[in-house]
Amino acid sequence: MELTINEKRVIAALAELDSCSDAILAEKLNASPETVVQWAHLCADKGLLTIEKDVTLSARLTDEGKRYAEGGGLPERQVLSKLQAAADSLFLKDLSHDSLAKIAIGWLRKKNWISIQDGKVIVNNEEAQAPGPDEEALKNPVPGTIGCAILVKRGLAVIEEHVSWTISITPDGQALAGAGLNLQEETGTLTRDQIISGEWKSLNLRKYDVTKLPKRIYAGRIHPNQQILDEIRSLLFEMGFTEFYGSIVQNSFWNFDALYQPQDHPAREMQDTFHLAEELPLPDGWEKIREIHQTGGDTGSTGWGGDWSQDISRKCVLRTHSTSLSIQHLANNPNPPLKAFSISRVYRRETIDPTHLPEFEQLEGIVMDEGLHFGHLLGFFKEFFGHMGFEEVRFRPGYFPYTEPSVEPEVWVDGLGWVELGGAGIFRPEVTKPWEIKCPVLAWGLGVSRVSMLRMGLKDLRQLNKSDIDWIRNSPVRRV
Amino acid sequence: MPVVKLNNEYLARLTRCDIKTIRDNLPMMGSEVEREEEEQTDVQYFPNRPDLYSAEGTARALRGYLGIEKGLVEYTVKPSGISFHVDEGLKNIRPYLGSAVIRNVNMDNAMIESLMGLQESLHWAVGRGRKKVAIGVHELDKVEGPFTYLAAEKSTSFVPLDYDREMNMDEILAEHPKGRAYAKIVQDFDKYPLIVDSKGRVCSFPPIINGELTRVTENTHNILLDVTGIEPRAVSVAVNILCTAFVEMGASVETVTIDGVEGPTLAPSKRRVSAAECTKLTGIPMTAAEMAALLEKMRFGCQVIDEDKVVVSIPCYRADIMHDCDIYEDAAIAYGYDKIAAELPPGFTIGKPHPVQALYSEVRAAMTGQGYLENTPFTLTSEDVAYTKMNRPANPKALHVLHPISEDQTIIRTDILPMLMESLALNRSRELPQRIFACGDVVESLTTYPKMAGAVIHTGADFSEIYAAVDSFCMMMSIPYEVKESDDPAFIEGRRGTIVSGGKAIGVFGEISPAVLNAFGLEQPTAAFEIDLRDFVKY
Repeated sequence: MELTINEKRVIAALAELDSCSDAILAEKLNASPETVVQWAHLCADKGLLTIEKDVTLSARLTDEGKRYAEGGGLPERQVLSKLQAAADSLFLKDLSHDSLAKIAIGWLRKKNWISIQDGKVIVNNEEAQAPGPDEEALKNPVPGTIGCAILVKRGLAVIEEHVSWTISITPDGQALAGAGLNLQEETGTLTRDQIISGEWKSLNLRKYDVTKLPKRIYAGRIHPNQQILDEIRSLLFEMGFTEFYGSIVQNSFWNFDALYQPQDHPAREMQDTFHLAEELPLPDGWEKIREIHQTGGDTGSTGWGGDWSQDISRKCVLRTHSTSLSIQHLANNPNPPLKAFSISRVYRRETIDPTHLPEFEQLEGIVMDEGLHFGHLLGFFKEFFGHMGFEEVRFRPGYFPYTEPSVEPEVWVDGLGWVELGGAGIFRPEVTKPWEIKCPVLAWGLGVSRVSMLRMGLKDLRQLNKSDIDWIRNSPVRRV
Repeated sequence: MPVVKLNNEYLARLTRCDIKTIRDNLPMMGSEVEREEEEQTDVQYFPNRPDLYSAEGTARALRGYLGIEKGLVEYTVKPSGISFHVDEGLKNIRPYLGSAVIRNVNMDNAMIESLMGLQESLHWAVGRGRKKVAIGVHELDKVEGPFTYLAAEKSTSFVPLDYDREMNMDEILAEHPKGRAYAKIVQDFDKYPLIVDSKGRVCSFPPIINGELTRVTENTHNILLDVTGIEPRAVSVAVNILCTAFVEMGASVETVTIDGVEGPTLAPSKRRVSAAECTKLTGIPMTAAEMAALLEKMRFGCQVIDEDKVVVSIPCYRADIMHDCDIYEDAAIAYGYDKIAAELPPGFTIGKPHPVQALYSEVRAAMTGQGYLENTPFTLTSEDVAYTKMNRPANPKALHVLHPISEDQTIIRTDILPMLMESLALNRSRELPQRIFACGDVVESLTTYPKMAGAVIHTGADFSEIYAAVDSFCMMMSIPYEVKESDDPAFIEGRRGTIVSGGKAIGVFGEISPAVLNAFGLEQPTAAFEIDLRDFVKY
């Protein structure tokens, strides 16, 4: 059994005394009674001692009570004596100058020692004026007596509780003491002097209970979702992708028109997109986009037909997809080879609920090179998803205004089945030709919050942006 | 995207195939089975394929995809002798009209439901909520040609569908459910579109409502179709999709002459495409004949010209074929995406992070090293949180969204600290101390730029703790700085500092004012800082 030095000292003392009060033990061990009781309790937990609590009550006069006890009794007794000594009956108003009398009058009348007639104080029959239990108690207050209770009520005495402890050794304790106790002083934290002087060799180092859990330290940590985004970023760097970044605010030209989304496309309407009152100018070469929308221009396309408005194109929105950044990145870097990606917040006019947020991270990637085809896009996905831990991938036809062919990759998740993770395709000629991009461009967009939800087993998307700090604190860095 | 309800029995009958095979194959044709029920299957289609929005159109495509039929469906149309005149007055209102006569119609319930569903989906996908295109279907035998499509006085009255009394056109817009729903399309014009027969009887008030007179019932055998709109190609596509769906029902289509032009022809358009180009795009090795076979599965007509070239006849109902690549995609779908050999892109490139993202990574390292937990709050916020609760004046450079969806999201954040205060409020019941930070984009005017903020809350959170945090952060981030007194009202006077670097104020720190703590419902001392990072990254 591991005992601290203090516990051993308690056992050793009691082995001698067999049983004693905390006060005696305190004196013997040269510590405060509170401390020895603490030590004794620890020993009692181990079955070496028994402890009994003794509570005694005592009554003590308050300062006011003491004053009366020493100065001739309760106020009513003192005033009564004065009244009896007076030659004649007194007027009540004369008494009111005496501070003691003020307190006494009430009690005198209550005890029926005096009566008042026409403002005059008359002392009643002397037989009724024998000392009461309160006056007895004033001389010797004993808890539990009527007199003492009256004094307590009058604020002349208080009852005090005294706790003492009777500590006795058990046969187990005796046996332990009989076997001998090492009473050498224990050392907790080592000091510098003890370490360098060699004193540590002879110290009795306290042994700790290694099964007791420590108070947990919460480490600073990046957000669990950001950690997954960083893993994805690392994977893409390894696959040769350069990261791009851009403005949250885009004009409709870059967000929609340059991506061959017709100006009357439902996604552009105000119920789906956050529109702004601001405008941004159109870039050089915007006329080509107008031409392509209206007639297909020189791309071999029929175009959408109908009108195309510069005014609509200049109007700003909060980017609805990061493809708006992809096309600008391509327009600025039209020469192959190019592999690039971005993880950016995108905005959709959705009411917040567990599965919808008005803003979320979108992973957007492009690969441009000579000789690329649709099979390379599918190959990229198999590789990428495989690294992300999704072994089975399937490809369904998809539709996006800016890609052809288009595909919706799906991954198999046990318990959920096929889960769609995004959309992809090869940029249409209507999208690439205006910017002198001569090679095929594979493009893909993935809702990474969905990946995060699957990886972290989250049920509510709001946890990503309005996080419970305990969830962040308790999210392990390594996921198994 | 439209969800079309398909009657299982009817779809299986039209396709000549069992419903299970149909359900298994629909996803690989480019649609999604939303719900499977005893009687019906709900299928979600892409917006580029309105020709599939009916049991008839779906069955036609499936018969090709499943190999039950192949190639182009040829349509013959006879003249009906019926003619239309379109009034010049419609030029700026709703100028385009398409029409056809459908005969030998014998519709059962499943057909009527399919037709109504198709009409509704076309109104959404092609018609853009009836604005671009609206469709009317009439019992032809109740009226007599020639017909006139004109701009009518608003006082013109007739009995609209589902009513038993005459109403003038303004009354219809104000009272009829369809009038109220679509009034905004026409209400600003002086006159309204109207279709009348030779005797002046009203067939339709496009794009709002038909007349009760020409209501279509199970006993209707001859139909007059009207399609009006503001864009001629969309009008023609809608006519073609409807007419070819009627043919699938067993009816025959007849032309109508509109101001001397006879239509619809339901004739295919042609494109000359190349197997080599198809291979180049899709990665599927194929000859012209192989490509032709794939395209015939998708119901294109094909004429192989040589080893490479194929002349493709594109069905009149296909609205989505704008470019050769649209045809090549269909070849790939027919081939099967899962059979395409997946290869890695071969080009060699070296990846690297964007400087702003690299900066954010450094911020995270600096702050988590100090024991702070990262938050990733929303960028959408409100003036109330961003300024009022922060005890700060509103920032005139904040961007306001035009149609906010809730009062919590009316602007894009110009600062990150208010979001941290919200986070502390959200985590009020959690163990203290709490030390949190966030980094990310903010927007002022039209400029997106990087910022970071940190906050601590606990009984001893004070100026010296946050000053030390700022000092450590700036040292870690190689940001030289000095501190001047600040007048930021979010902080306690005399316990707040402006962080100055390169002669420019880049941030603020200090003890948060109790007024701000009260506003966010926080009860413990809080200290915080925020730093503008844009000068420390170049890109």
